[in-house]
Amino acid sequence: METLATALLGFFAAGYFVLGGADIGTGMLAPYLGRSDRERRLVIASFAPFFLGNEVWLVATAGLLIGCFPELEGELLSGQFAVFVPLLTGWIVRDTGLWLRGRAGGRGWRLACDTAVTGGSWTVALAWGWLLAGLFGGSLHEPASGPVAVITALAVAVLFALHGLGFAVLRLTGDPYARARVLIGRAARPWQSFALTAALMAALPLVAGLGLPLGESAGSSVGTLVPALLVVTPLLVAAQAWMWRTFRARVTRPSYL
Amino acid sequence: MNPETLDLARLQFALTAGGHFLFVALTLGLATVVACLQTAATFSSKPLYARMVRYWGQLYVINYAVGIVTGLVMEFQFGLSWSGLTHHAGDVFGSSLAMETVIAFFVESTFLGLWIFGWHRFSKRVHLALIWGVTLTAYASAYWILVANGFLNNPVGHREENGRLVLDNTVEVFTNPSALLAFGHVLGGALITAGFFLAGVSAYHLFKRTPEWEFFSKSLRIGVFLSLPALFVTATFGGLQFVGMQPMKEAVFSAKNAEIAKLQAEMVERFGPGDYVPSEALTRAAGILMLLAFALMMYLCVAGAVLAAFRKVVFRFRLWHVVLMAAVPLPYLAMISGWVFREAGRQPWVVYGLLKTEDAVSKVSPGQMRLSLIVFTSLFALLAALNFWLIVRHARRGPVETDLGLDEREADDPADALPAARY
Repeated sequence: METLATALLGFFAAGYFVLGGADIGTGMLAPYLGRSDRERRLVIASFAPFFLGNEVWLVATAGLLIGCFPELEGELLSGQFAVFVPLLTGWIVRDTGLWLRGRAGGRGWRLACDTAVTGGSWTVALAWGWLLAGLFGGSLHEPASGPVAVITALAVAVLFALHGLGFAVLRLTGDPYARARVLIGRAARPWQSFALTAALMAALPLVAGLGLPLGESAGSSVGTLVPALLVVTPLLVAAQAWMWRTFRARVTRPSYL
Repeated sequence: MNPETLDLARLQFALTAGGHFLFVALTLGLATVVACLQTAATFSSKPLYARMVRYWGQLYVINYAVGIVTGLVMEFQFGLSWSGLTHHAGDVFGSSLAMETVIAFFVESTFLGLWIFGWHRFSKRVHLALIWGVTLTAYASAYWILVANGFLNNPVGHREENGRLVLDNTVEVFTNPSALLAFGHVLGGALITAGFFLAGVSAYHLFKRTPEWEFFSKSLRIGVFLSLPALFVTATFGGLQFVGMQPMKEAVFSAKNAEIAKLQAEMVERFGPGDYVPSEALTRAAGILMLLAFALMMYLCVAGAVLAAFRKVVFRFRLWHVVLMAAVPLPYLAMISGWVFREAGRQPWVVYGLLKTEDAVSKVSPGQMRLSLIVFTSLFALLAALNFWLIVRHARRGPVETDLGLDEREADDPADALPAARY
């Protein structure tokens, strides 16, 4: 059961990094990809139907952590308190910008929301880098510090941005598409870049998880939780697949956000 | 335990959980209303219902968005600020949170995205099924959260092993009366919140004599006729909770000083020296405020149900319109004071009789906790202000040019379009 619980945790965490990472990365690059208000709205439309469905992978990861590994969850979150506060702040700011951008008029309002989306996305990516730097270095109870931590955080943030770029090439049209394509380069096929960054993104939480004492810290609740979660997981994946299939076409016009 | 960290962590939890709870109250009730309206729109040929779905749906989505982002902080806050709780009781308490995130919220979010962005991509019935999926999983979310909260108030279905609580009887945890009764109570409260919201917004338009009189007289009636039965459901579940209430909370609420002293002496004998009396002013004031708000709402609902039966009154009774507008905050007041009564009244315990709040707080420095308190409460205040501003703005505009459910293909303006697709 502990192994299955660990596998589920890895599955949801990897799902978040691959899917959520794509819309976070695209958000990081929004000012580059979209130069005008309307173009930026198109960039947002490229991931608008997905971002809520993407971030719930992280919500589920956190739920699994507190349900199956409660003691570890408390140690990790309180130990990395200084990392999680900016992570959550960036997440809230970014989502607020996304949700509310289209709900009021005025250039100033939309510019503020775009800033929130880009700034929030960078904050989230850098905070993940900082957290991963700690986990890679085996420091569970202390936020990572020093030059290695800074370099890791920056490298992770760049990976997020590249992943978002690959996503943008697959989703956008028009000038924003052309700008993304220039950076990816003509040599590679668009999906190749995305597949590569997706594999790297999925590896991040899995490698970080290797350093966590997951096996010995599983709670007594796994016996009840894991079977129930295993039953519903295929249904969740099916619902997500339906969502991706529904909105698979490239975007040519702004959407609700 | 650092007493300063404890106070700051408690303040942060109270403000963020309270804020989140108020957004959720409207979301949960309004989701039900929108789902019912969309059912009517699907099975009747009246275009009015379809317009109502889009208008009330828009207000629902704005409020929902703010509810979600505030909820994110809640999920992480247990581990961040209360690692003693996850350490001591996480096995029992955490499992319902895991169920909430994976089984309920995951589906809810996926379906909500499909509902918002897939307006013209699915058949009417599939689109209707989506909003019902969102609504029912939102109920499931509320249920699982109240299972977690019910366990804190009335710990059942556990046993102690090496100083930690482990899950002993899952069914007992999931059917905890403290969770089930609170679930009925909160669900009813959410419907009242939505009912008063519908009635208040509609009354504004009728008062202003905007052209949409048919739209808003119907909406006002839905609001009023929903609030009355919802109020009775809420009161019933609320009354039932007084029966099994923690004795100390009951004694403090009723100001029975002799009883308080007796219980305090008993607790000292059982758990060792300490102050086992919750803040009397806070507990009593919150309880009284909740009951006052209930009484006021009952008068308004009963009178409203009579008045709403007459068409002319709905259109012309302007004093009533003003009262309905002024009454929109009442359910919020009742919800928040009921919540303070429930949560403040069980102090000093976080898990009643098993774990004190002061033993649950994380080993975080007061400086860090203060910083996070400032960051999160300012963000929440900003979000509340934005939510209020946007809801007022969209509510006043009326059911014209609602963005939600706009057919993007029709909305395309060729002159405004981006250069032709090339890739």
